[in-house]
Amino acid sequence: MSLFTICLIILVGSWVFLRFVVGGIISVPIPGSVIAMYMGLIVIAILVHISVEDSLFREFRRPILETLVDDKRRLHRRVLVVLIPLLLLGYTYSIIAQRANPPGSPRDAHPSPPLQLTYKDEVIGTMQDVVNPFRHYEKDDPEAFKAHVENGKRVYHQNCFYCHGDHLDGQGHFAAYLQPLPANFQDPGIIPNFQESFFFWRVAKGGPGLPAAGTPWDSAMPIWEDHLTKDEIWDVILFLSDYTGYQFRTFGEAH
Amino acid sequence: MRIRTVALLLTLFGMFVVLSLIYAQNAPEASEKGKEVYENSCAHCHGTEGRGDGAAAENLLPKPRDFTRGLYKIRSTETGELPTDQDLFDIITEGMPGSSMPGWETALSANDRWEVVAYIKTFYDGFKEAETPPKQINLSGKVPYSEQSVETGKALYTELGCIECHGNIGRGDGTSAPDLTDEWGFQSWPANLTQGWNFRGGADTEDIFKRFIGGLAGSAMPAFEGDSFPGFGLTAEESSRMIELDNKDEMTEVEEEESAQLYEKYDAAVDIALNLAEGTELSAEEKQIYDDAMKVVYEKSWHLANYVKSLMPEKRPEPAIGNNVLRSQYIQGELPEMDNTAWETLEARYFPLVGQIVIEPRQFNPTIDAVNVKSYYNDTEVAFLFMWDDRTHTTDETDDETGKTLEDALAVQFPVKVPQGPTAPKPYFLWGGRLPVYLWHWKASAPEQVTELTAKGINNAEVQEAQGELQVQGTYTDGQYKLWVKRALKTDDKKDLQLDPGVFVPIAFSAWDGANGDVDTKRVMTSWYTFVLEPVPSSKRFIYPPLIALLSVGFLFGLRAFVQRRNSEEA
Repeated sequence: MSLFTICLIILVGSWVFLRFVVGGIISVPIPGSVIAMYMGLIVIAILVHISVEDSLFREFRRPILETLVDDKRRLHRRVLVVLIPLLLLGYTYSIIAQRANPPGSPRDAHPSPPLQLTYKDEVIGTMQDVVNPFRHYEKDDPEAFKAHVENGKRVYHQNCFYCHGDHLDGQGHFAAYLQPLPANFQDPGIIPNFQESFFFWRVAKGGPGLPAAGTPWDSAMPIWEDHLTKDEIWDVILFLSDYTGYQFRTFGEAH
Repeated sequence: MRIRTVALLLTLFGMFVVLSLIYAQNAPEASEKGKEVYENSCAHCHGTEGRGDGAAAENLLPKPRDFTRGLYKIRSTETGELPTDQDLFDIITEGMPGSSMPGWETALSANDRWEVVAYIKTFYDGFKEAETPPKQINLSGKVPYSEQSVETGKALYTELGCIECHGNIGRGDGTSAPDLTDEWGFQSWPANLTQGWNFRGGADTEDIFKRFIGGLAGSAMPAFEGDSFPGFGLTAEESSRMIELDNKDEMTEVEEEESAQLYEKYDAAVDIALNLAEGTELSAEEKQIYDDAMKVVYEKSWHLANYVKSLMPEKRPEPAIGNNVLRSQYIQGELPEMDNTAWETLEARYFPLVGQIVIEPRQFNPTIDAVNVKSYYNDTEVAFLFMWDDRTHTTDETDDETGKTLEDALAVQFPVKVPQGPTAPKPYFLWGGRLPVYLWHWKASAPEQVTELTAKGINNAEVQEAQGELQVQGTYTDGQYKLWVKRALKTDDKKDLQLDPGVFVPIAFSAWDGANGDVDTKRVMTSWYTFVLEPVPSSKRFIYPPLIALLSVGFLFGLRAFVQRRNSEEA
C-alpha cells in the first residue's frame, strides 16, 4: 500500500470516526466546526510527516504524478477528471442554495432573581434569607409537615401537573408543544441548585416576571400569585422536594 | 439411583416453576406495596377509593377512570368481558394518548406497575368473582391492508352507522357528536379518526379492530353486536347479492324467490343471535350457523379497521419548531384562490394547540388538536390557508353559565414590529403586553371577513380604526375549517405588520371551539412559532458552481501539462 493511500485512509477514517463513532455511537453529535478543527490538525500532522524527508515526500507524491501522466493509469485519470469537478459543483451549489434558518433564541433558563422576594406587592424578605415558613415542621412536627405536603400535592395536581406532569418530570399532557419546555423537577440539576425562595419567585411571578435574559415573552408559566395564596405556593414547594426526594439548596447555619 | 431420580424430578419441577413465573401474565396478589404506589402516583386523579374523583379530576376530560364499575375502554377481550391483567399493565405502561393519562414506563418499575394492577382490581369485586378468564378477541383472521379491503370497509362504515358520530370522513363531526355522554354522564366526544395519534389504545390496525369488536366500555361507543351487521348470517357474496336485488326497480319471479330465501336465512341467523344473547342453549346446527355468521362478521370488521387506518397519516406531523418553520413560497403572478389545486402541492406546517391555562377563565380540555398552515406570496401580496378540525360548526350559541355567545373562531397573531436580532424582546405570547401584537380575528359567523386587531394583552385588544383590504374566504366541510386570507405585503397603516422576504417573523395562533365552551380567554393557543417569506433562491447558484467545476478541470489539465513538461525535461 502506498504512503498516499495510507494518508488518505487516515484522513477519511478520522472523519468517519469523529462524525459517526464518537459523535453518534459513543456520544451526541459533534459540531461541524469542532470536527473541522480536528481534521485540520490531522492534515497538518500528515504534512509534517511527509515533509520530514525528501524520500518520504517523493514516495507520497508518486501515485499522484503517476495518475496525472502514466498511460497505465489512464482509467483512473478519466474517472477523476469527471468526479472531482462534479463533487465541487454539487458542494458549491448546496452551499449557495442553502435555505436560511431562523436564528436560535439564546435563553437563560435560570436567570438571576431580584434581590427582594415579594408576593403581589408585599415584601417577604431578601431572596438570600427567606426560608420556607413550613420547612421547620419537617423536624418539629412531622404530622403538620405531612398535612402541608398533602395540601401541596393537591395544589400541584389542580394547577401544575398539566405541564409539569404526574411524575414531576416536565412531561405533562400540555408540555410537548410549549416552547420553552416546562421544568423537569426529577432532573438532579434543578431542585438541589436552588433555594426555596428562588422557586417561590419563579412560581409567584411566572413567565412574565422573568428578566429579559429569560425571554419572559415566550414562557407559558402563569403568574401564580394571581391564583394561589402564599401558603399554597410554599406547600407546593414542600411537595416538590418531598415527592422527588431532592433537597433544596440551603446556606449552612454555621455562618 | 433414587437420589438421582429425586434430583431430576426436583430440577424439572424447579424449571417448571421458573418457566411458569416467567410466562405468568397475571398480577400478584394485591399488596401494601401496590397500595403505596397507587396512592403516590395514581390517586390524585383516580381517587383514593378508585372512584375517579382525585383532586385533579375536576378539570379533566376525558375523566380519570372510575375503577369501581369494572368498565375498561382499552381491552383485548370481547364485549362485556373484564380486561386481562396484561391489558391493565399495558395501559399503565403506555398511557392513553389524547388524554391526561401518561405512560409510566420510565417512572415506575415493571414490578411496581404489576403491583398497581393487582391493587386497582380490588376496587371492583367482579375481578375476584370471575370464575373463568376473560374471553379474548380472536385476531387470527386478520385481513391484510389493500385498496379493496379499504373500499369494503368504507361501505360498512356507512351501513353500520359509524357516520352518525364519526362523520362522513371520520373527523368525529357526525350529527350526534355533540350530544354523546359516557356511563357517568360526562361529555364523550367521538374520536377524530384522521388523528390516530390521539387514539387512547393505539392506532395499529389490530388496536382499531379490538376497539371495534370489544367496544369502549363505559363510553358512547356501542358494544359490538354481530347481528347488527347488514346481511348477518350470509356469506359476503350472498349479502352483496341481497343488496343488489334490493336495489332493483323490478324483480323477476326467480329473483323475488332468491331475495326471499336470502332474507329468510338472514332472519334465522338474527334469531339465533338473539336467542344466544338471552342465554338460550343452541342446537349443534344453530351453533354452526352462528359460528359461520360470526366468521364473516369478523372478516368484515377487519375491512372496517383497514378503512379507519386509511383515514389517518402514518404518524403525527412534526410540529413547526426549530428549522421546520412556516415558509411562504414565492410565485409569480396571481396568488391561488382557496380552491386552487396549487395548494395541494404545498406541504402544510403543523401547529399543535394547547389549552390556555394562564389567565382566567382557562381551558383545561382542548378539543382542537392543531392548526395546519400553508402560504404563498408574490411581489405584492401574501396568501395563507389555515386548516383546523372542529367536530361542530358553532356560530351562535349561548353559554349556559355566562350567557355569552359561543362561536368557533381563529386568531392569527404577529408582532406589530418584527424584533431585530435573536435577543430583541418579542411581545408576550398571549396577545402581547408592553409590546403590542397585530391580529387577524376570524369568526365562523362572518366567514368572509377578518377583523384586524391591535392587542396589548389578552384582555386588552382593540379593533383597528383603519381596517385593511384583506380578502377572506372561510368554509366548514366534514369537520374541518378552511380559512383563506390574502393581504398586501406592505400597508399604509402603522399598526399593521409590514412583510419583507427573508425576515423571520414570530407567529402564533388562538382558536375557539364554541361547542367546548371556548369564549374570550377560554381558548386553545400556541406559543410563538416562526414564519418567513422564503426568499427566491439566489440566481448565483447557477453561475458559481459550474464556474468552479470548469476551473477545476482547467487546473487538472494544467497540472498534468506541468508534470509532463517537467518529466520530459528531466528525461
